[in-house]
Amino acid sequence: MRKRIGMVTTVLICLALMLVTGCEPADSENTVKVGMVGPLTGGAASYGTSIRNGAELAFDEANESGELGDYTIKFIPEDTESVGTKAGNAFAKLIEADKVSVIIGGVLSAETLTGSDYVKEAKVPAISPSSTAVGITKGNPYLFRNCLSDELQGYQMAEYAVTELGLKKFAILYTNNDYGVSLKNAFVEKGNELAEVVIVETYMDGDENFKPQLTNIKDKNPDAIFIAGYYTEAAKIAQQALEMGLQVQFLGADGFFADELIKIGGDAVEGAYFTAGFFSGDPSPELQDFIKKYKERYKATPDMFAAHGYDAARMIIEVIKKYGPEPEQIRKGLSEIKDFPGVTGSITIDEDGDTIRDVYILQVKDGEFNKIR
Amino acid sequence: MFVQQLINGIILGSTYALIALGYTMVYGIIELINFAHGEIYMFGAFTGMILMTRFNLPFPAALLLAMVTAALMGVTVEYVAYRPLRRSPRLAALISAIGASIFLQNLALLLWGSRPQNFPSPFKIKVYQSSFFSISQLEIIILVISFLLMVGLSFFIKNTRTGKAMRATAQDRDTASLMGININRIITITFAIGSALGAAAGVLVGIYFRTVNPMMGVMPGLKGFVAAVLGGIGSIPGAMLGGLLLGIAEVAGVAYISSQYRDAIAFAILIIVLLFKPSGLVGLPDQEKV
Repeated sequence: MRKRIGMVTTVLICLALMLVTGCEPADSENTVKVGMVGPLTGGAASYGTSIRNGAELAFDEANESGELGDYTIKFIPEDTESVGTKAGNAFAKLIEADKVSVIIGGVLSAETLTGSDYVKEAKVPAISPSSTAVGITKGNPYLFRNCLSDELQGYQMAEYAVTELGLKKFAILYTNNDYGVSLKNAFVEKGNELAEVVIVETYMDGDENFKPQLTNIKDKNPDAIFIAGYYTEAAKIAQQALEMGLQVQFLGADGFFADELIKIGGDAVEGAYFTAGFFSGDPSPELQDFIKKYKERYKATPDMFAAHGYDAARMIIEVIKKYGPEPEQIRKGLSEIKDFPGVTGSITIDEDGDTIRDVYILQVKDGEFNKIR
Repeated sequence: MFVQQLINGIILGSTYALIALGYTMVYGIIELINFAHGEIYMFGAFTGMILMTRFNLPFPAALLLAMVTAALMGVTVEYVAYRPLRRSPRLAALISAIGASIFLQNLALLLWGSRPQNFPSPFKIKVYQSSFFSISQLEIIILVISFLLMVGLSFFIKNTRTGKAMRATAQDRDTASLMGININRIITITFAIGSALGAAAGVLVGIYFRTVNPMMGVMPGLKGFVAAVLGGIGSIPGAMLGGLLLGIAEVAGVAYISSQYRDAIAFAILIIVLLFKPSGLVGLPDQEKV
């Protein structure tokens, strides 16, 4: 009896193995492998899955339409579980075991920083659709990104506030992480060049009470407060300022861009301006077409991450079409991208591998987001 | 500006004081640090939010019902997690308290998800300005409710039969029992009152900061504990004083040093108090408890 069970198990295991290996189509010469490194589970999972969905949509479309001629793309996403240290393993696996031609990722800035040396050494290009930390692509010819850097957003907001809105005295309230600090530094630099930053205060993500900082800010009597942080805290800051009788213009960056800003902030965030690299209400046909396709497939509205993931994948497809599927060919192609028509607007890659692109200015008006520029 | 920061500190501190009372009363009676208290506070806030947004109850009714619900919950936690361990070593009850805390957090995560939920304020924003400071109607309401609750509690403990029984139980449980006091009943009442005060703090903080989330009890729970120790754990006036002082210290830290040190300040105070005056500001070395 015992022996029989043993045999049955062996047969079952063999069957399972056959099934697993059987599913994978044999890699022919014409298969181009594209890896992805990002958080698909854990705290930052929503970013990673959005990017994966966007990229997958683009690659499946390209494979079906046959636009790549003889080539088919095989997309291999690797999960970092939102743990920074796992990114290194993911990059190493994609490069050494899967022998990919190009990698989309990392998603989080920490992941991209970890992977930077791997891709440089292996000479495999990588493009991050979401790592916004300052100077991340600098000095590495194999690293690119197609998202908006924090710096650029800070500069543009300061410029817009002074030249278009005529504001002169700024207060800054920033969240104490990479994102908040880069935005703050850029805004301080540009703001002091064009006008005056009178006070800089800080807070931590998850804080609820901003009255102490706002009391200090109120004392300096600024025209506007630039909040370098995310929507929940921004909404609360605006609320509490209103409650203190502090009437100022609120400014921010893409951290503002979530419906919760208006839900929590209510009247207090009305009229607030912020920068963003993506606006789903933009009527451009490329974007609306993408939104429709994405909704059909994933039953969800694409966010900024999905759109950037899609754009990164489209750039890779175009580059393969034009230059070929070898890592070196793709690197060259990516470095020469100019005025690429992405769903998030026109994209140009500069000499550092960074992106030059339009920055949208959005405003909260009558409880909705509106594109101003 | 200093006056304004002081007011900011008192408002924050009054909510810490309400939470600290729950810790200190329970400690006074059964010498247990009820780590699930922060979660009771969180459930109180959620109950208030749900009553006001989904059932459209007016604020006073929602506050009262949230307090009653939390009282029932506190009593249930005591019955399930602490009562069976009454005769066990104190460490066992403490670990059970941590377990109850984790259980309640995860229950809330299951029920409501992890995203912060909006708690709409029932009051129109109205600000009173003077040359030294400004205060909003909402802030006045929070202060008034907290102080009324604290005065009410002090009166209850000092002047009612049950209050006297609570003090007697705190002094010496066995003797009190010999005098005909039903100890289990007193413990139940203590948990009910402490939890109701915690829930009141939760609702007040909810309408003040406009969001609730399942993790909102963790930090205020710890701060409430620090406030109770600062005042002298087991002492009711001590908890009130400790709460206010902690609130003021925190606001001063954020306003004049940096927000990064906010929580560090609270816990540095805890360490210093434990080192130099373990019995707290108000507590006496061998004090009369509750």
